[in-house]
Amino acid sequence: MSTTPIRWQDYKSPLNPIWCPGCGHFGVLNATYQALAALGIPQHEICFISGIGCSSRIPGYTKTYGFNSIHGRALPIASGVKLANPKQTVIVATGDGDCLAIGAGHLPHTAKRNVDITVLMMDNGIYGLTKGQTSPTSPHEMKTKSAYFGNQELPENPLALALAYQATFVGRSFSANIPHLADLITKAVRHKGFSFLQILSPCVTYRGRDQFVILRDLCQPLPDTHSPDDRMSAYKYAEDPSKLWIGLFYEAQAPTLEDKLNHVMDVAQQTKGRMEKDALLKRFQI
Amino acid sequence: MKRDISVGFVGAGGAGVVTCGEMLIQAAAHEGLSAMATMSFGPQIRGGESSSKVRVSDTVVYSPGDYLDVLVAFHLAEYLKFKTELELRDDVIIFMEHDDSMAANPPFATGPNARIIPVPFQKLAKEEAKNPMAVNIVALGMVCEALKLPYKGMLEIIKKRFAKKGEAVVAMNLRAVEIGQQYARDVVGALPEAKVFGYTPKEPRLVLSGNDAAALGAIYADCNFFAGYPITPSSEIMHNLSEWLPLFGGRMLQVEDEISAICHCIGASFAGARAMTCTSGPGLSLMQEGMGLASMAEVPVVIVDVQRGGPSTGLPTKSEQSDLLPAVFGTHGDAPKIVLAPADVRDCFDVTREAFYAAEHYQMPVIVLSDQFVGHRFEAIRKDAFLERVEFRGGRDIASAEDLVDYMRYKDTPSGISPVSIPGMPKGEFLASGITHDERGNPSANADVHEKMVIKRFKKFNQLRKELTYIRHYGPEDAPVAAVAWGSTKGAVREAVERLNAEGHKVKAVIPQIIYPPNYDQFDAYVRPCKRFIVFESSWNQQFAKFVKTYYLPKENQIISYAHAGGRTLRVQEIYDALKEVL
Repeated sequence: MSTTPIRWQDYKSPLNPIWCPGCGHFGVLNATYQALAALGIPQHEICFISGIGCSSRIPGYTKTYGFNSIHGRALPIASGVKLANPKQTVIVATGDGDCLAIGAGHLPHTAKRNVDITVLMMDNGIYGLTKGQTSPTSPHEMKTKSAYFGNQELPENPLALALAYQATFVGRSFSANIPHLADLITKAVRHKGFSFLQILSPCVTYRGRDQFVILRDLCQPLPDTHSPDDRMSAYKYAEDPSKLWIGLFYEAQAPTLEDKLNHVMDVAQQTKGRMEKDALLKRFQI
Repeated sequence: MKRDISVGFVGAGGAGVVTCGEMLIQAAAHEGLSAMATMSFGPQIRGGESSSKVRVSDTVVYSPGDYLDVLVAFHLAEYLKFKTELELRDDVIIFMEHDDSMAANPPFATGPNARIIPVPFQKLAKEEAKNPMAVNIVALGMVCEALKLPYKGMLEIIKKRFAKKGEAVVAMNLRAVEIGQQYARDVVGALPEAKVFGYTPKEPRLVLSGNDAAALGAIYADCNFFAGYPITPSSEIMHNLSEWLPLFGGRMLQVEDEISAICHCIGASFAGARAMTCTSGPGLSLMQEGMGLASMAEVPVVIVDVQRGGPSTGLPTKSEQSDLLPAVFGTHGDAPKIVLAPADVRDCFDVTREAFYAAEHYQMPVIVLSDQFVGHRFEAIRKDAFLERVEFRGGRDIASAEDLVDYMRYKDTPSGISPVSIPGMPKGEFLASGITHDERGNPSANADVHEKMVIKRFKKFNQLRKELTYIRHYGPEDAPVAAVAWGSTKGAVREAVERLNAEGHKVKAVIPQIIYPPNYDQFDAYVRPCKRFIVFESSWNQQFAKFVKTYYLPKENQIISYAHAGGRTLRVQEIYDALKEVL
């Protein structure tokens, strides 16, 4: 163990981001460096897992263990990492397409298992890497490359979904508000259980300056009257059409999947004793 | 006296037909006999018609046997549903319920040598054993006595099997088996010497299925992570591991789909675990992208595919060898992976262990291509034989302190195998990825880097080909004709070839265990002296014949394909006939 504290620069990898100038994800990356430095977790004890998309490039830009996998599958890979190596701090970088479209089937299950991982879902309401198609959070009637006459579907509400899926930590932040975001990431990583953050992160290339301005004007910190252990209040603010509330919506303490599987192991070994290979083979002896 | 006998049971739901098969093979194993049992079911989830078939031998059993020497029919009508699985020898002995409505007009043609013996099974169970449920136990007692099958073993199995249910249940069943025995003595009487079984008792054996053996192989290979999704006919592997892994300190998770299953395994393996999943055809299709990732990111993972009839839902409860080409070539891109095929129950154990070794050592996905026929059947196996093959040879090449100075995760070494760091190791941080990457793991879109790294990954095959060389061959070296087969087809092919050899014919069988990468040298050495090859397989589209033509033999006209669709297994007789035709 080194005695000098880890600086945020120590988490920076030598790779230069390939994002467009002005991309909201730069803010997410910087906030992540700051959060990791605040937490002081050594680089080799962090696994940054991602799927595919602009957001999913982040593991390459952090000097930690990383896995830039396939589209939509960051959650099961991260869950596998955590179960096999529980000492690792496991963070998922994902986007609205990766997490809510192709990988949407994994979200409810990973959330309800309460695997102790942190999901940073960067939400720009567009497919940037594939150059401008509709995503599950694209606004209604927005024209995209794949919706020439406008998006005919209503956008999903990621926070309401995460709450319904029983995530034990649900929050929202804005990539342009780095101190707020860094603080929320720090809390999310500290939380023992499944943490889900929707990070509003504008895409300047395919959503223009408008998106940034709209998000900036709509984002507002949750009022002090909201208590994160109040589930109904969390739903209310998540569903508020007039504002994009940011902050910690919901937090609950519950046993993690690792705890539960360790419990299974304890119970199994207490009732049956730790098994030897030969004893197992003998079971088939007639 | 018969040294080899096949007994079939058939009946409606509740008759205890499957129990009959299980108990008969266990009784045979208890007296040290070689045996194989196969079960077959109707489409019902519970209840419904079923059949079981047990072949017992004083020497050795390779296949379930083509024809039944004995049939026990609790309900004749149900026989119709299993006709192709329960073909009768012309001198078959049939025990049937005496007042069966089809008794006057049985659903099978019997020759003059057949003998039909009506037995009041239900009456004996109800009135004598005082338990209408014990029909099957009465039948077992009767069959064991009449055919001189291991009766003593049967008594032991009853004591063991019903012990948990209490002494009264054990006593009732012991009485039921005696009632059957008594009926055979008093009413059936002695059968001709040539029709009864003769054997010398030996040391008790193990009885297990191929799926049991695969799960055991995983435990013996120190597997400590399993994620899976239920699918017939592979689920028993998951069921076993759900109990066993926690007992051995491992973790097991049933997940939301097969994509999640393989991705969990990839994540766990990346983080240092020995990970496995199991599936069948439809799941294999869903896992293809994950397997490509494991190949690209060089993450060890073992996938057991217990094949069933396909495509799509196909024949979930019946066997076929039609996942061969999807297993080898199914992943998009040039993706090196290893495909191994177990040929019998013991092999499921050995091959699964070997699969872990290969996955860990060569850092790539390994598919164990089992099938329903081998996965669901039970065999009585000698315990010493079970453990006689190679020991598990070790794990992956973990990066040393020296490697970690300016660490390159995907270093292009002469063998293509690069030392790997595990999350938690200081200075070992790297990016694993499915995107084309250089030796450091940094993403790249450069054509030269891409080609260099594709070659690096395929280079691992060079050493692998020298190391994984196991190939089965039977019959004389200089035989001009070879029967070429893979996986579960081995048993019937071996039996046919040995029968022909015993009759003085020169023919051999060649059965590779490693399917991919193809082991040219080894295979060619066995088939080079041959003028003709017949490829036997359970794939109508001749997947294996096409594979063999592609990789092994330059002269196509030498190859004859004997291929049929799944749903039934190849008979020894048809293989024998096909070989005899070209001899």
